[in-house]
Amino acid sequence: MTDVILRASKLKKLYGGKPVVDGVSFTVKKGEIFGILGPNGAGKTTTLEMLETMRPIDGGSAEIDGIDVAKNPQKIKALIGVQPQTPSFEEKTKLIELIDFFAAAYGEKVDAKAFLADVQLLEKANSYPEQLSGGQRQRFSIAAALVHGPKVFFLDEPTTGLDPQARRNLWDLIREVQSRGVSVIMTTHYMDEAELLCDRVAVMDKGKIIALDTPKNLIKHLLKKGFKKDQHVEQANLEDVFIDLTGKALRD
Amino acid sequence: MDTLQRSLLPIWTFVRIDVKRLFRDKVAIFFVFFFPLVFLIIFGSIFNSSSDVSFRVSLINQSQSDFALDFEKKLRNNDVFNIDTEATTLNAAKQKMNRGQLDATIILPANFGQLGDQGYPTGQARILYDQSNESAGSSLAAVMESIFTGVNNELVPYQAPFKAVAESTATKGLTQFDYTFSGLLGFTLISLGIFGPTQVFPRLKQKGVLRRYRMTTLKVWQYFVANVASNAFIGLLAASIMFLTAVVLFDLNMRGNYLVLATVVVLGTIMLFGIGLAVGGWAKNENQAAPLAQLTALPMMFLSGVFFPTFLMPDLLQRITAFIPLTPVIEAVRLVVTENASLLDLGPQLGIIIGWTVVIYLLAFRLFRWE
Repeated sequence: MTDVILRASKLKKLYGGKPVVDGVSFTVKKGEIFGILGPNGAGKTTTLEMLETMRPIDGGSAEIDGIDVAKNPQKIKALIGVQPQTPSFEEKTKLIELIDFFAAAYGEKVDAKAFLADVQLLEKANSYPEQLSGGQRQRFSIAAALVHGPKVFFLDEPTTGLDPQARRNLWDLIREVQSRGVSVIMTTHYMDEAELLCDRVAVMDKGKIIALDTPKNLIKHLLKKGFKKDQHVEQANLEDVFIDLTGKALRD
Repeated sequence: MDTLQRSLLPIWTFVRIDVKRLFRDKVAIFFVFFFPLVFLIIFGSIFNSSSDVSFRVSLINQSQSDFALDFEKKLRNNDVFNIDTEATTLNAAKQKMNRGQLDATIILPANFGQLGDQGYPTGQARILYDQSNESAGSSLAAVMESIFTGVNNELVPYQAPFKAVAESTATKGLTQFDYTFSGLLGFTLISLGIFGPTQVFPRLKQKGVLRRYRMTTLKVWQYFVANVASNAFIGLLAASIMFLTAVVLFDLNMRGNYLVLATVVVLGTIMLFGIGLAVGGWAKNENQAAPLAQLTALPMMFLSGVFFPTFLMPDLLQRITAFIPLTPVIEAVRLVVTENASLLDLGPQLGIIIGWTVVIYLLAFRLFRWE
């Protein structure tokens, strides 16, 4: 078995006495893309935020790369990169300056242009974030989150609100991040995204993990139970039509 | 890089970007640099013109004597008199006085300047003034009296046994404006220090920008120092522009040392920015921040001598207002500009400023929230 980079055990978060995250345990292996699925309000974001040191952990524990999250938040922050659900940046600030600043926040000097080139935004180096499209903004946010070379990358619903081209582009980007040896943990409520992108997924509902496996195994398991879809095999769906008509190229 | 360099890097990077950011924001440029100038120009025009006393009078000469004609010329050439050219009859002059457009009317009667028995010209000038303008009338009479004293002395030289001489205690050349300037500078620093951050920080919180910073290893103190440094720089720049305008347009008399003035401005900016940081750092949104900003800034403006000098206040109030954060800043600026005070002379003021700075920043540090 490969090494474990993140271990969460019996994580708990209470709001007004009610458990929003209720004893969640899982491990993430080095270099995998781990998905947390679930309907709105399942506790995905809260789980992520506890792991990111953004919210106090009310019960249980978590460690990343062997470091306790609750005890060493500053060390954890240096280890992880975070892509928030709605990334926002100070206005009237050039992208290149923002990259410089985020790197500086970790005490580092970087080649900002190289980071922008990685996410195909080099030509926007002197633009302000408020001038970017939704997809560009997500890509920029990923670049900003990776300036300090984190070992674990958290993404919270990264493709919500993006058009099909931008989504596909972002998937490629996430795979590329993975290929550099960064472990990725992301939440989503798009099943196609999870199936395509994630090595393993945890399905959450009402604050608990109700299933955890590879997407293939989860589907196999369902079929074993005798599940049958109303089958008529289609060779294509509407999204295929859309992509065929409008092309795969980025539109932003 | 060593640890110190690494922890200073975000500060320097932030200051560099933050200053550039200000110059990209037209609205901010207006409020930081030009809005105070508007005040400066308004107050400057008011106080500059009031510093030279002049009377608006009508002059009616009914005498044809050489002396009267000569005397009329003298009055017309005297800067103290602003002689009306339209009201040449008594009736017209009376109407204008009634409306408050003239302070008084000087009448040289028909027999004014005729040679008397002793062989030199004599006469009596009449000064008419409106009942509502008694002070102008009596001061004008005094002015005329002194002019006649001079004339009399030329005609009949004599040494008066007693005299009273009035002298202004202010050293030569200081105008009312020189005293007003420090208040105006205080106004600029307070708008920059309090109204700036109480708008900016809640907005950044609501947008989630500060939350994003919190996800990094950036520490609160680093973010504070970075903001303070960039604000002190901008404050110094705004003060310099004001200063330059005051010197060029209104002949501000700068008696003190520029480095001392810069020190006072920087220390004052840092302290006042702390108030903004405490309020803006605590408030969750602009609705919380705006009234609190007004509540701290407005009383300070009124009580610390921005709009009127503190010495006009009752004694007890003066003793209290001396300890309001803004007062020592304004005082110190005034002492440097008008009395060439050194840093040592400013000990009490700087002491209060530094004391407040410590208290304010401790509070700001405790109250600060990233989101």
